[in-house]
Amino acid sequence: MADAMGFFTDTTVCIGCKACEVACKEWNQLPATNGGQNTLSGVSYDNTRKLDGTHWRHVKFIEDLSQDRSQSAWHLMSDVCKHCVQAACLDVCPTGAIIRTEFDTVVIQADVCNGCRDCISACPFDVIGINDATGTAQKCTLCYDRMQSGLTPACAKACPTASIQFGPIAELRQRADARVDQLHGQGQTNAYIYGKEDMLGGLNSFFLLMDAPEKYGLPAHPQLATVRNVPSWIWSAGSAVVAGVIGLLTLRKSRMDRFAAERASTEPEA
Amino acid sequence: MLLERFNDMHWGWLVYLEMFLAGVAAGAYMISALLEWLGRGRTPLARSAHALAFPLVAIAGLLLALDLTRPERFWHMVIQSETMLPMFKYWSPMSAGSILLLLFGGLTFVSFIDFLISRGLFRLGPWNQDRTLHGSLLGGIWMVVGGLVGVGIAAYSGVLLSATNVPGWDSTLIGALYVATAALTGVAALLLIQTVRGLIDADALALAATHVWLIVWWLVVLVAFLATLGQNIGFLLHGVALIGLIGAVILGAVVPLLWRFGGPRFQGLLLPALSTLLGGFLLRMAIVVGPPGGR
Repeated sequence: MADAMGFFTDTTVCIGCKACEVACKEWNQLPATNGGQNTLSGVSYDNTRKLDGTHWRHVKFIEDLSQDRSQSAWHLMSDVCKHCVQAACLDVCPTGAIIRTEFDTVVIQADVCNGCRDCISACPFDVIGINDATGTAQKCTLCYDRMQSGLTPACAKACPTASIQFGPIAELRQRADARVDQLHGQGQTNAYIYGKEDMLGGLNSFFLLMDAPEKYGLPAHPQLATVRNVPSWIWSAGSAVVAGVIGLLTLRKSRMDRFAAERASTEPEA
Repeated sequence: MLLERFNDMHWGWLVYLEMFLAGVAAGAYMISALLEWLGRGRTPLARSAHALAFPLVAIAGLLLALDLTRPERFWHMVIQSETMLPMFKYWSPMSAGSILLLLFGGLTFVSFIDFLISRGLFRLGPWNQDRTLHGSLLGGIWMVVGGLVGVGIAAYSGVLLSATNVPGWDSTLIGALYVATAALTGVAALLLIQTVRGLIDADALALAATHVWLIVWWLVVLVAFLATLGQNIGFLLHGVALIGLIGAVILGAVVPLLWRFGGPRFQGLLLPALSTLLGGFLLRMAIVVGPPGGR
């Protein structure tokens, strides 16, 4: 097993150039939206709007203005699949199309996926979508093919400010902690790491953020969807027991009534 | 949990129709299991359940396959495409459901054949009109498995919805509600068939009482389910989902109960059975289309 690999995205140095998006599209041969006839979203400079089956990197432009507009912050963040250590998509996939690679990343095999879309609903980060060109669910592979050849993923390679850093997870976490310490030392005490080991076992794509996760469109407490499996089955069984008891009691009574009627009809009259 | 989701699952009418049909099949088969254990596996009511379950579950399976974006790969659900070994992940509700559907299809198919043989349409060696599976000791054992698998079929699609990160489905009670709905609609379907066939015997009348009590149980679970949603209940209380939910309660519970206890002017089982079936269908629709991502 190779070292666990991943991304550390330092949002404080992202300049919103979208080189990562372009590099990702180019390397992975992902089609343009609507044949390139995209419409403007009206949401800042963000016309990609989401991660999905054909957008595996998405640069978010978050204009955070106070109510009276006296204070403002402009957060930029290159979002991507989190390659969770406890991955809900991998858990629920019924075909085995979603696998964990030797790099501890999570990849959807397009030749196995049959497009049931269960992974789309299970992902706590809303990362997966259907790629209409293949008819299968797709997302970032962390450039699995490039990694197998010892290359850096296309987005990290293209990033001009080293906002996207690629490497062994252990090394990246050390680098991220050092960066947080540095920012705290400079008075930026709101800097923190999103995606430490306490979150779904650790996100192999983790982020340095400067505000609450919700500001970045990220869930504060992402959950592994399958944690509800056992209680759901238990409650279902309980419901079945109640329905069964109702059935037994009502149908049993009829049987007794019928037997009583049969007995009454066969007994000689007094 | 993200309250705004951009990627739709596009689980639409194919999905909720499948849930409804599979639920009716499972509910009817569960009733036939009870009848079998009570020594009435060859009664007209039990035979109607045997006749009904397989065709419905076959249609349900077809609908599920058609809903895939790559329907020609439907078999990947149960067979690993590379190794050709069985595909089963018990911790994935969809994988468990696929295996359950396969099992249920097999079990109900045999019961369906048993129904045809019981009608004297054909015989298969010692399996003939006088020696059928149902009503025998083997039939009792068969229906132990059949009843349990039926419960699995009734529950799995609800468990599947709860094992998502979609607001409005984040309740552990959807499975319980789906089981109650399956039992209720299964009973309603059998009452409808018996009424249409003019076979209102003691069993059918007893089943009418089962119907009433199951409506009560269904309402209890429905209220409990809605209560568990907390603020995410809003996803079910708007647009088509709200209309579906109101329709489900009125048609699934209010109309049949009023009819049942409405006095001598309200006789017959046809309308309450039909109304319950419609209500059950609307509930499935409301739950699927309400949350973001459903259609």
